[in-house]
Amino acid sequence: MENKKAINQNEALSEAKEKDTEAPLDKNVRLMSPTRMVVRRFFRSKLSIIGLIMIISLFAFSFLGPLFYTQWGEIEVDESQPVKPNYSTYEIELTDKDGKVIHVSQTIETVSDFNGLAPMSWEHPLGTDKQGYDVFVRLMYGGRISLIVSFLSVFVITVLGVIMGGIAGYFGGAIDNVIMRVCDILMCLPGVPILLIISLILDSADVDAKYRIYLLMIYLTLFSWPGTARLVRGQILSLREQEYMVAAEAMGYSVPRKIFKHLVPNVMPQLIVQMTLSLGSMILYEATLSYLNLGVRAPYAAWGTMINVISTDMEILQNYFNVWGPPGICIVIAVLGFNFVGDGLRDALDPKMRR
Amino acid sequence: MLKYIIKRLLLSIVILLGVSLIIYFLVRLMPVDFIQNKINAMNQGGATIDESTVQAMYEMYGLGDNSFMGILSGYFNWLGNLFRLDLGRSFQYSAPVTDVIVDHMGVSFAVALIATFFEFMIAIPLGITAATHQYSIRDYAVTILVMIGISLPSFFFGQMLKDLFANKLKWFPASGLVDAGSSATGLALLPDYLAHMFLPILTVVILSIGGRMRMTRTNMLEVLNADYIRTARAKGLKESKVIYKHAFRNTLIPIVTTLAGLLPSLFSGAIITEQVFDLPGIGNVALKAMNAGDIPFIMGYNMFLAFLSVIGVLLSDLMYALVDPRVKLE
Repeated sequence: MENKKAINQNEALSEAKEKDTEAPLDKNVRLMSPTRMVVRRFFRSKLSIIGLIMIISLFAFSFLGPLFYTQWGEIEVDESQPVKPNYSTYEIELTDKDGKVIHVSQTIETVSDFNGLAPMSWEHPLGTDKQGYDVFVRLMYGGRISLIVSFLSVFVITVLGVIMGGIAGYFGGAIDNVIMRVCDILMCLPGVPILLIISLILDSADVDAKYRIYLLMIYLTLFSWPGTARLVRGQILSLREQEYMVAAEAMGYSVPRKIFKHLVPNVMPQLIVQMTLSLGSMILYEATLSYLNLGVRAPYAAWGTMINVISTDMEILQNYFNVWGPPGICIVIAVLGFNFVGDGLRDALDPKMRR
Repeated sequence: MLKYIIKRLLLSIVILLGVSLIIYFLVRLMPVDFIQNKINAMNQGGATIDESTVQAMYEMYGLGDNSFMGILSGYFNWLGNLFRLDLGRSFQYSAPVTDVIVDHMGVSFAVALIATFFEFMIAIPLGITAATHQYSIRDYAVTILVMIGISLPSFFFGQMLKDLFANKLKWFPASGLVDAGSSATGLALLPDYLAHMFLPILTVVILSIGGRMRMTRTNMLEVLNADYIRTARAKGLKESKVIYKHAFRNTLIPIVTTLAGLLPSLFSGAIITEQVFDLPGIGNVALKAMNAGDIPFIMGYNMFLAFLSVIGVLLSDLMYALVDPRVKLE
């Protein structure tokens, strides 16, 4: 390690020399803080830049989009008459007086009082869905839900995980044992099926459709902190033995200060990577729950909820990709973006991965 | 080794007890009249649930008695039944829960087994090429492709495959396990089964290749940096021999242990994929039961899944100790 660092510095030095040999030496040596080195290494990878762009544009789209695209609201039905009425033909069997069977085909013209399943147009860039809601604007509002929910739950998971893992790793012994067994138990709980039960509980409590997903995610965080706790604990176990902790001990620092000011910051690199990657998986989780109609429910929009219609309506699955395709693509972009950024961060933060 | 196994077994029992406690209290959080409403709704929907079945369930979970001792005795009563493998009677399927689980486990297992086979067969070679050609175009191409695979939501990708291959191209049937008009029995059903399982398997494989490939790549990179690989190269071994004989064998350690841990979960069923293709697997059955509010089945299914994952953890730990001689058993 030490060696590598020295070599790297030498390289940087010689690089700088090649650039400008005339200037005095101290101007050629650029001192870089570790943070700046990480940032530089992060932006060297094209994938992480692409990921960052994907995430930023999704954020802009969902949070700023509705400010500019104001024609339609999230649950505003387009009540104009549809351009063409809907024709449906039925075959009917009739028996006349003489007992003869006559086949009659009957065509019914239905004109609905709202513009449902409208094609893509200037008025509706992505058309409307079956209920006459504008798909494009719902995509934005759905994005808000997905992004907020995933950020909140990852934040809570990390806080819980750091506290529990920090305590377990620092104190060791019986406390460690208890916390780790709780982790074992929680890790063996099945994810989606447990949420099926919790969703039934929320049903029985008559929770508002708008807040369901938040409550569900709170339960989810209660079950998913063990991964982070294990990571933090493992790191702290090895850091605990280092000299600077002996020094901290000698300075008479309080236990919380030692844990959260001296140990946890050293776990940050791994923690940040884990957080970024779990942002992606939380978006997938939220989408899956909404798809199963456990999360955000109609009339409110979430990406998963918008795809939900095709599980019952074959007509929309086959003919109206503009209704269910875009939310799916948004999910993929979000998850992919977070995965790219997480990977880039991992490479940038891990000194062993240095090229 | 024996001491280690016994210790791990005892630990597994503790974990299972903890899981059962959580699941039991979750169900106790549901008000009784809500459960009664769900049962009434199911009866109106055509199901016939005897009063005796409902009473048996109340008795089994000790519902209705909300005093502390009532809850406690209810829990131990339910636990006793669990040990006798009696999970109660499902409302939705009017059969014992254990029977329903056993009946539908086969389909899920078949799909998962074939999918896991292909997943490993495709992901491991990809991971090795990506590692041996680190930072090359090949590495980036493979990484990006599998990353897209990881990022696809299973319901979206499954529906897309269904729309394209089943509805538009009509190469494969869209849903179910057997053609409605088919009268074949026994072995003659096999081609029909496979045709129906193709798309679900494809979905699962594409979604799971990514994780496996990245795991292989990371492990392979770690091994390739080891000293004995440098030694092998230094003594002039062919590169193919270095990679496939020296490096790959050591990469196998984590692969084998995860495989052991994966075995039990093959029975657990893929809820979303089975729902999309309407396969009569255990995940789909559980989802339908949940939508109807079939509490005995959901409870039983959750316990079944927890049991499988406890066994999985146990197996992979034991396998790890068995395969890797460097692991010290404390």
